[in-house]
Amino acid sequence: MGMPGQADDHQWSQQHLSHYVEGELRPRARRRLDRHARDCVDCGRGIRAMRALVYAVQGLDGLAGVRAPATIFDRARLAGPGGSPPSPQA
Amino acid sequence: MAPSGGPPAPDPADVQPAPDPAETEASLVARAQAGDVSAFERLSGAYADRLFMLLLRLLGDRGEAEDVAQEVMLRAWQGIARFRCQSSYFTWLYRIAVNEANRALEKRARRPDGVSIGAGELQLPASPVDDPSRQAENSELRRALGQALNQLPPALRTAIVLRDVEGLSTQEAAEIAGVSQAAFKSRLHQARLRVRAAIGDEMLVTTGG
Repeated sequence: MGMPGQADDHQWSQQHLSHYVEGELRPRARRRLDRHARDCVDCGRGIRAMRALVYAVQGLDGLAGVRAPATIFDRARLAGPGGSPPSPQA
Repeated sequence: MAPSGGPPAPDPADVQPAPDPAETEASLVARAQAGDVSAFERLSGAYADRLFMLLLRLLGDRGEAEDVAQEVMLRAWQGIARFRCQSSYFTWLYRIAVNEANRALEKRARRPDGVSIGAGELQLPASPVDDPSRQAENSELRRALGQALNQLPPALRTAIVLRDVEGLSTQEAAEIAGVSQAAFKSRLHQARLRVRAAIGDEMLVTTGG
C-alpha cells in the first residue's frame, strides 16, 4: 500500500477473489490481481482462504447414503390420475 | 446354443432386469403426461434421493424436508403436463424443489418463533488422517460452515449449495435457481464472501486447506 492506485487495487482484488478462484477473470484482470497479490499479504491469504472455503464446502457430503422417505409420493397419489387437469397450452 | 454341462443358468430373481427400452425418460414423461402415475413415480423416483438431500441441505431439518419433498412431488405431478422437455426433467424437478424450499424458508422466517436450520445436517467428511487435533479442527470448521450457511439468505444459500455442494455447472444451477448466469455468479460470489467473512481466513487457511 502507499503508492497511488494501490488502495484501489486492494479493494478491487478483495471483491474479485471468488471470480479469481473460479477462473472467471479475463487475462488482463487476472494479471492485475496476480500482480497485487504478490505484494499484498491480505490478498495472498484471501486467495488461499477462498480456495479453502470452496474446497471445504465441496466436502459437505455428510448426507451420502441418505434415502428419500417412502412417503415421498403420498400426496401425488392422493391427488389421483393427472393430479390436476393438464394445461391445454402445454 | 449353450453347450450342455455348462454353468447353470442364473436364477432370474438374482439378476437385475435389463432396462426396458420403452422406459426411456421421454417415454416416461409422455406416459406421465397422459395421467399414468406409476410412470411419474418411476420418472421422478430416479431423482428422489438426490432431491431429498438437496432439501435437507437447504432446509436443514429432516421433518420439514420430508414435508416439502411430498409437496415437490405433488407440484411436479400437477404440473407434468406443462413440462416441455426444453430442459432435462432433473433440472425441471430441481427447480420446483428450490422454489418449494424457498417458500418454506419464507414461511419459517415469518413465524414468530422462527427456528434456524440444524447445521448438523451439513457435515464434512472425516479427516483422512488419524490425527485427533486435525479432526477437532475439521469438526470446528464443519460447525462454523454450517452456521455460516444457515445465516445466508435463501437465494445465496441456494447458490452455494447448488454450485459448490451439489457440483452443478453454473448454467444448470442458474437454470434451477431461475436466474441468468450472470445473476447466479453474483449470488454465488456474495455467498462465498459472506461465508468467508463469517468463518474468518485464519480458520479456513489453517483447517480447510
